[in-house]
Amino acid sequence: MYLSRDEEAVLSGKHGESAQKAMELVVALGKIYNAENLVDITSAHISGASYKTIGDGGLKYLEDVSKDAKVKVTSTLNPLGMDRERWKEMRISPEFAKKQLRIIELYGKMGVRTSCTCTPYLGGNVPKFGEHAAWAESSALSFVNSYIGARTNREGGPGALAAAIIGKTANYGLHLEKNRAPAVIIDADIGNTLFDHSLLGQAVGKRIGSAIPYYRNIRPDIEAAKTMAAAMAAAGSVAMFHVEGVTPEHSRYDVSGLETIHIGKKELKDARESLNTADDIQLLAFGCPHLTVREITEMAAFLKDKKKRRNDVDIWFCTSSEVRSRCPDQVKILERFGPVLADTCMVVAPIESNYQRTGTNSAKAGNYLPTLCSQRVMCDDFAKLMELVI
Amino acid sequence: MIVRGRSISKGKARGTVLRLKGAFSFLGGVDGATGELRVEDGGNVSDRILVFPMGKGSTVGSFTMYDLKVHGKQPAAVINSTAETIVATGAVISSIPMVDSVDVGLLRNGDDVTVDGNDGTIEIHNVRPVRCVSSVVYVDGKILMLRRPDSASSFPGVWSLVAGKVEGNESTDDAAKREIYEETGLRVSSHSASLGPIFVRENDVIWEVHPYLFVHNVSDVKLNKENVEHLWVSPDEMERMNTVTSTVLAVRELISKLIP
Repeated sequence: MYLSRDEEAVLSGKHGESAQKAMELVVALGKIYNAENLVDITSAHISGASYKTIGDGGLKYLEDVSKDAKVKVTSTLNPLGMDRERWKEMRISPEFAKKQLRIIELYGKMGVRTSCTCTPYLGGNVPKFGEHAAWAESSALSFVNSYIGARTNREGGPGALAAAIIGKTANYGLHLEKNRAPAVIIDADIGNTLFDHSLLGQAVGKRIGSAIPYYRNIRPDIEAAKTMAAAMAAAGSVAMFHVEGVTPEHSRYDVSGLETIHIGKKELKDARESLNTADDIQLLAFGCPHLTVREITEMAAFLKDKKKRRNDVDIWFCTSSEVRSRCPDQVKILERFGPVLADTCMVVAPIESNYQRTGTNSAKAGNYLPTLCSQRVMCDDFAKLMELVI
Repeated sequence: MIVRGRSISKGKARGTVLRLKGAFSFLGGVDGATGELRVEDGGNVSDRILVFPMGKGSTVGSFTMYDLKVHGKQPAAVINSTAETIVATGAVISSIPMVDSVDVGLLRNGDDVTVDGNDGTIEIHNVRPVRCVSSVVYVDGKILMLRRPDSASSFPGVWSLVAGKVEGNESTDDAAKREIYEETGLRVSSHSASLGPIFVRENDVIWEVHPYLFVHNVSDVKLNKENVEHLWVSPDEMERMNTVTSTVLAVRELISKLIP
């Protein structure tokens, strides 16, 4: 791999040990994927923020790397294992909370913004069209590749942090124009709800694995695109998608001659059935990915004149602290049903200590709740799930 | 013997090989505090040269490697056939030397190995390399196969191509022609196809095998004492015989080179 004189200097340790280690990691990953050189990045988004997912090994790593490392570009962090103020309501243990707070402190020390969300592109970390970035968090990176036209691969947590520290990442995969072309056409015949789009992502991810799809006959708004991107990345490992007439790069490529896959009501029904393993629930959790202002507003409108009847079911609404602070009136309505938690979610919080059956309207959560949280899952539309408790 | 691979994580270490057969996930595969394996036949990764084909599983596995390092239970070095992100990340952040692009089939449990992550090589101290040639003699679409005596010191009783060691300063091409003449009495002219060397492990020897193919027109064979039997077989028939896997693969590739 070609390295400039400045990059060689970092690699030889002239800019400190943490920068050297970060460069070693970026170069090693570049070698694996046959990158020819490095590119400058403008933004990073780092996963590995929840104590539940990174454990003591991750915490010790952050203790060590934060001794002399500082990020060079705008960097944000994925959701935590708890709301940093309301963790007692989530029945988190004090020991977990102590380690979680330490993790945030260490990232903060390195200059990473500690508003912790899987939707940083809604504000706070918005790379521009054509810019290179190093993002972990599969749903977010797919969104910025597809809807913004920024360029990032599927980074792991340490890789994204290393890229943020040196301000560069290895130039391969989706950083290169030729690798952003669609490989398959998805002819979608689905309804217009958010949940339909989540199931569409689920069906497509399962079907195409890591390929780049080109959608026809849908016009997903931000919320629909967010849940679709998340489902595709969880059911498969899709890191980018095009939507005809919608996404900024869709017209750059010739799609004639590509295979077409039809996804209709039957495929959606199959996708939904594959995710449903529970016939009752102890927890209802919404906000995977984190709720937007618009989603919170719609949920509040739906719940305004209703009452929660079942006391044996907890309800969580998960969003970013930034979004929560922007719609206080709607948040008040939701709080009658359950806490509006900031900067955490049901997948990365240790819910398995208190619950065995969880309901969600997110196919992404439907994929991860059984494996990461030992849950049986009920996966359905928001209104249908709420009808069980109101 | 030194085997060239690719540097993934810097540093140099010597130790005893612990070889895992399948793709390996550090998360769930090993206890981060003790180094005890939870897969295959168990054992402890601490201070060993950990050898496996490639990594798999959750990205948290990188932090499990760091956890091992924190507890002083990390492997001395890692060797993979093909590195992927999780193990490479774990090795770099934990300062564990790592080399990939090495045929892990050449390594055995208990081998004494130095891994040099700076120049991307490994040295296996308890084996010696032996250069040899292995030739397809190809007459009318048939391959000449020779069977080694049951008393032979290497590969006893196995069907093989016309093979032997390279002697002194002779070229591998000359060695191939000499072996064919000695073992079969056939005098072949220049070769029609050849491949880069293939490495085969047998006890304390790694054979560096140079494959050749000679198209010939005489099939009248006179065996010397090195072999007990000969057969002319089609490529398909050869694949069903008791022979070394790498021989089958080499023959396929040599014949494919012949037909443009």
